Amino acid sequence: MSTSAEDLSLLEFIVGKVNVGIFVIDSEFRVVVWNRFMESHSGYRTKNIIGQNLFDAFPELAESEKWLRRKIQNIFVLKNGSFTSWEQRPYLFRFRHNRPVTGGVDCMRQNCTFQPMKDEAGEVRYVCVTLFDVTDTSIYQNMLQKTLASLADASNRDGLTGIYNRRFFEQALIKEYSRAQRYGHTLSLALLDLDHFKKVNDVHGHLAGDEVLRETVRRLSGCLRDADILARYGGEEFAVIFPETAQAGAMVVAERLRAAMAVTPIIYNTQPLTVTISVGVTEFRADIGRYEDLIKEADLSLYASKDSGRNRVTGYTPTASAECD
Amino acid sequence: MTIAALNADQTDALQEVVNIAMGQAGDRLARTLDVFVKLSVPRIRLVHVSEVIRTVQEMISNTSLVSAVRQAFFDELRGEAVVIYDNAGCKDLANLMGYNDELSTLEEQELLLDVSNVLVGACVNGIAQQFGADLSFSPPSIMAEKIPLDLVLSPENLSWQYALLVEVNFGLENSDFKSHLLILMAEEGIDTLRTSLDRLMEAI
Repeated sequence: MSTSAEDLSLLEFIVGKVNVGIFVIDSEFRVVVWNRFMESHSGYRTKNIIGQNLFDAFPELAESEKWLRRKIQNIFVLKNGSFTSWEQRPYLFRFRHNRPVTGGVDCMRQNCTFQPMKDEAGEVRYVCVTLFDVTDTSIYQNMLQKTLASLADASNRDGLTGIYNRRFFEQALIKEYSRAQRYGHTLSLALLDLDHFKKVNDVHGHLAGDEVLRETVRRLSGCLRDADILARYGGEEFAVIFPETAQAGAMVVAERLRAAMAVTPIIYNTQPLTVTISVGVTEFRADIGRYEDLIKEADLSLYASKDSGRNRVTGYTPTASAECD
Repeated sequence: MTIAALNADQTDALQEVVNIAMGQAGDRLARTLDVFVKLSVPRIRLVHVSEVIRTVQEMISNTSLVSAVRQAFFDELRGEAVVIYDNAGCKDLANLMGYNDELSTLEEQELLLDVSNVLVGACVNGIAQQFGADLSFSPPSIMAEKIPLDLVLSPENLSWQYALLVEVNFGLENSDFKSHLLILMAEEGIDTLRTSLDRLMEAI
């Protein structure tokens, strides 16, 4: 390193003007260097803060004082740099940022590095702290996280009714199925289908059909527990996963779903439409090989409901499957 | 294909350098943390990318979930260090690092980063000092939180063929705290290391 007077004044200029906070403290936490960035954001003129104890000058640091003291002391002992990141600790100093209008964050987000400054004997004399304004990064990162979360949610939902779609249903069923398998938990599945739905569309139009589907979802959701997973399986077909529930229990709920539809007509444009559902229910048994078999069994039971006059609930019986096959 | 490895003399020298460095690191950590630090004898292996998970599993033999922090070092030595924590994490160190006893998720993450930075700094700087080298470090970042060990270092995320792996594990007296430090130097890093080892041996 060259130390000519001209070089030094250049370095001083850079440290002073660089758009990064730079300050230096000694082992007593007294400020030794305080650059322009720190001046303009903290409101402390360099000449006023030099020689002052950092914690005396910034009472706001009290909350993190114990941690910051430890961190800086460790640098003197270990002779090893240290860091902070806005993701865990949003800021060291409470500074204003340059996006007061569009920011959406309360104050400047900061990444900091703490570097040991050694003397010729290799002992640490000072700690140099550099403070980077990462407010923009944090805003973009938060926007990205929010977008990703809402995309992930959108890709799991049915556009018309807002409940889970078939993609999510299959993933959830696989998860619940392997949980039942691993821990020996009970698990039931119901498939249900709106009876003569095509007629609603043909007679009253597709807008009526859409409203029927939405109202169906409202009624079904109202009968289910938080843990139950309702999904739109196809056009007018729905599926319900009942975790930790045996078939007998699922049958009771399925019957409630059937009644919720059959008892009160759906009103569309002041016109009452009676819509019923047929339901097929099955449960996990240790001898079922694959999760797809659960869907197959529920489907067989659903068709049994259709065949025996609709507007009813049929539970799967393993012996019946032999007949159906 | 020739493996960019070390010859017998270089390997011996490296083991010696690492042993001394870790001894000093343990001493410095004990002074910083004010507790007795138990350090294993460092193990050094040359691993192919396809074996790295198996090798690390053999070294660590942990079946529960782990968290991991990575940090790069550069200048006269080049590589990355990974600190792997058992599920117990490093809560026992909270107070010693100036944290409160009740930790939020973010504080727990920051503690993990802080402790990793201290462990990596002490050990890697210890090695660098033997060579008279001065290193820079990237900020540490979290690689994994509470996932199975074999997912921490998945080969599809690794861009090297061979790497030199130094493993040390840490324990604290009267505490369940346990962590493993892996120092990885890949191809270019091994070349740099070899030059440093040769220079060191010439100097003796």
